Amino acid sequence: MITKGQKRKYSPEEVEATDRSNPIWESQRQFVFSVSLNKYQRGQELPEPSLRRSVLIANTLRQMSLEFCNAPAEDEVPPDSSLSGPEEVQQESPSNKIPSAKHHPAQVVTNSSSALTTCSGVSSLHSSHYAAAAISSILTALDSNIEESPQAVQRTPFQSLENLSRSSEGSATWVKQGVRGFVGNLEEWDECRVRENQMEVTRSAYLTDFTVEDLFQDIDTSLLDKDKLFGLRGCGVGHPAGDDLPRYLLPISPSASSSQYLSNQNLKCLPSFSSFGPLSSSPASLPTIFSPSSSLFPGQNQGLDLEHLMEILVES
Amino acid sequence: MAGVAGGNDFQWCFSQVKGAIDEDVAEADIISTVEFNYSGELLATGDKGGRVVIFQHEQESKSRPHLRGEYNVYSTFQSHEPEFDYLKSLEIEEKINKIRWLPQQNAAHFLLSTNDKTIKLWKISERDKRAEGYNLKDEDGRLRDPFRITSLRVPVLMPMDLMVEASPRRIFANAHTYHINSISVNSDHETYLSADDLRINLWHLEITDRSFNIVDIKPANMEELTEVITAAECHPHQCNVFVYSSSKGTIRLCDMRAAALCDRHSKFFEEPEDPSSRSFFSEIISSISDVKFSHSGRYMMTRDYLSVKVWDLNMENRPVETYQVHEYLRSKLCSLYENDCIFDKFECCWNGSDSAIMTGSYNNFFRMFDRNTRRDITLEASRESSKPRATLKPRKVSTGGKRKKDEISVDSLDFNKKILHTAWHPKDNVIAVAATNNLYIFQDKIN
Repeated sequence: MITKGQKRKYSPEEVEATDRSNPIWESQRQFVFSVSLNKYQRGQELPEPSLRRSVLIANTLRQMSLEFCNAPAEDEVPPDSSLSGPEEVQQESPSNKIPSAKHHPAQVVTNSSSALTTCSGVSSLHSSHYAAAAISSILTALDSNIEESPQAVQRTPFQSLENLSRSSEGSATWVKQGVRGFVGNLEEWDECRVRENQMEVTRSAYLTDFTVEDLFQDIDTSLLDKDKLFGLRGCGVGHPAGDDLPRYLLPISPSASSSQYLSNQNLKCLPSFSSFGPLSSSPASLPTIFSPSSSLFPGQNQGLDLEHLMEILVES
Repeated sequence: MAGVAGGNDFQWCFSQVKGAIDEDVAEADIISTVEFNYSGELLATGDKGGRVVIFQHEQESKSRPHLRGEYNVYSTFQSHEPEFDYLKSLEIEEKINKIRWLPQQNAAHFLLSTNDKTIKLWKISERDKRAEGYNLKDEDGRLRDPFRITSLRVPVLMPMDLMVEASPRRIFANAHTYHINSISVNSDHETYLSADDLRINLWHLEITDRSFNIVDIKPANMEELTEVITAAECHPHQCNVFVYSSSKGTIRLCDMRAAALCDRHSKFFEEPEDPSSRSFFSEIISSISDVKFSHSGRYMMTRDYLSVKVWDLNMENRPVETYQVHEYLRSKLCSLYENDCIFDKFECCWNGSDSAIMTGSYNNFFRMFDRNTRRDITLEASRESSKPRATLKPRKVSTGGKRKKDEISVDSLDFNKKILHTAWHPKDNVIAVAATNNLYIFQDKIN
């Protein structure tokens, strides 16, 4: 059909899909979220994933995180919240973006990030902080910045040369970037996770890599090899980028238990633009963003829990 | 020029098909770009194997005046080879992303071809004479014994079989960190622009070791990246104007006279989103995959996943025309996202008079829209309808429950058969459609 200046038609099939209270919408959301994570991970396994594709997937996940943050919770969301519903947030985000886009292209990206922080409620705010930080971790490795970095760098996933602060300590520097995403009350974070517990892990025929049984199976085998978890491995050609995925996907939660965390994995695993960061040949200069460090959190057991969880995703 | 389908006096018919018939398609044979030159005499294709094949239009034969003449292979050469970036430990694909012809200024033809990282200027020249009667060497090239040379002779030019030579004249390398998606020759015929995901560079055709960066949307902190450049093109008449499209469905028109760095646009084209049609994939399907100026320079056309939009350069807030290419896919976006088809980048093109536009779809369908009569037509590029001068039968996709006899249901569409690249002859009603590894040429039926 040819029309003049016609906007997209409102399709009746989409009615239920856009109705947030409809279970179809919820299941579709879970499906899209899971597929996006899977898609991103597989994309990172490619030698050089497409930047456009990665940005689109990340934006989709960001949008879903934003919508989820603004979904009314059971026992939260103060009545005087500034954002009363998803529609307002959806409309707010584009309106945030459009005026800024008219001035400067770079401003668009900052406003898009700031849109993530407009979630209402304490727990949703913290969740949005996490989402923003997780997505930030995605993009830190975007730059294949041969032009800025005079030194040849070894390619390690999830790193951006521009944002690196070179350090001989492999795990120390990440604190600056990783902690930013996890500032705030840990209790608040737990509240958010309780809400997220309500989401079931979507088991779909499409998700061949993320069944819970597989993850639990991976836990056992991962106990044998802890060396994979910390520090950087040498990254030569064909280094599987997916192996480093868990370092950047798991939030640092000392109170998390393995099973409880796994059920929320589909929410935590936001992608990272790993392969856009060609990196130095010296592993020491490339700290991982979210690699857990037992020095930050007390208790060896918590570190081991994190090890297990990250190893799960490594194997997956 | 006649439009898309104007009643009984205008129909599209099959002319030729180039490429292998085998069911197993070699990855390297997949056509990645198609482009007519300014006169339409030459048709260039690039493939994933880095090769360029140029077809030349032969004049109509007197014995068969009802045919327009055929395109036959004129030259074939390897434009790009796979390279290895030692710094990043990455292989650079040899796939030809774009070919753009330069206006012809002498007997030779020039074109620009690019892969992800390097642009090359190729000269295609003919040689149909050779010199014979050298003094110092024999006809087979062996040097003659100097003591045997007793007389002097002047070499004469003798005709020979036509030989078409392609030689790289310029190599423009090391200017793009990200993947080049567009090149566009400026109307001044001296400069051209190249665009990757985050930057646009302006080159002079004679200078290979320098280029000017005119657009840079890379944020200071890569964590804040949410938008990439998807296509760029120079204005056909104003050498200071160019446009670039983004993954967020916006188009920015820039004037190079305003500043050396065109990060601040002169015009910003964006259609407000319909909130009622918002879905998880709204942004992905709004991503513009191609932008083309009209030949007149007054309009531009953009292709997103589901539609083609015609914009008046004087109106930024909405397009003047919107054509739905395959609206029946809107309810299938979830599946298309899952199988990655939603990321396909379709191109679009104008006809010579800007009265019609064409773009591709799935199942080897391609669509043409007549801007004047408001008629549209769906045709298929298939071997089954490849009989000489066979009229193409319009195809239809059924969206409702009841499917008519000749219709095909949405679920039966083959999403592996996608037509991403099409080209329209600049003067005649001849179109070239790339279907995976085959190039179909259709023309209007002369009655």
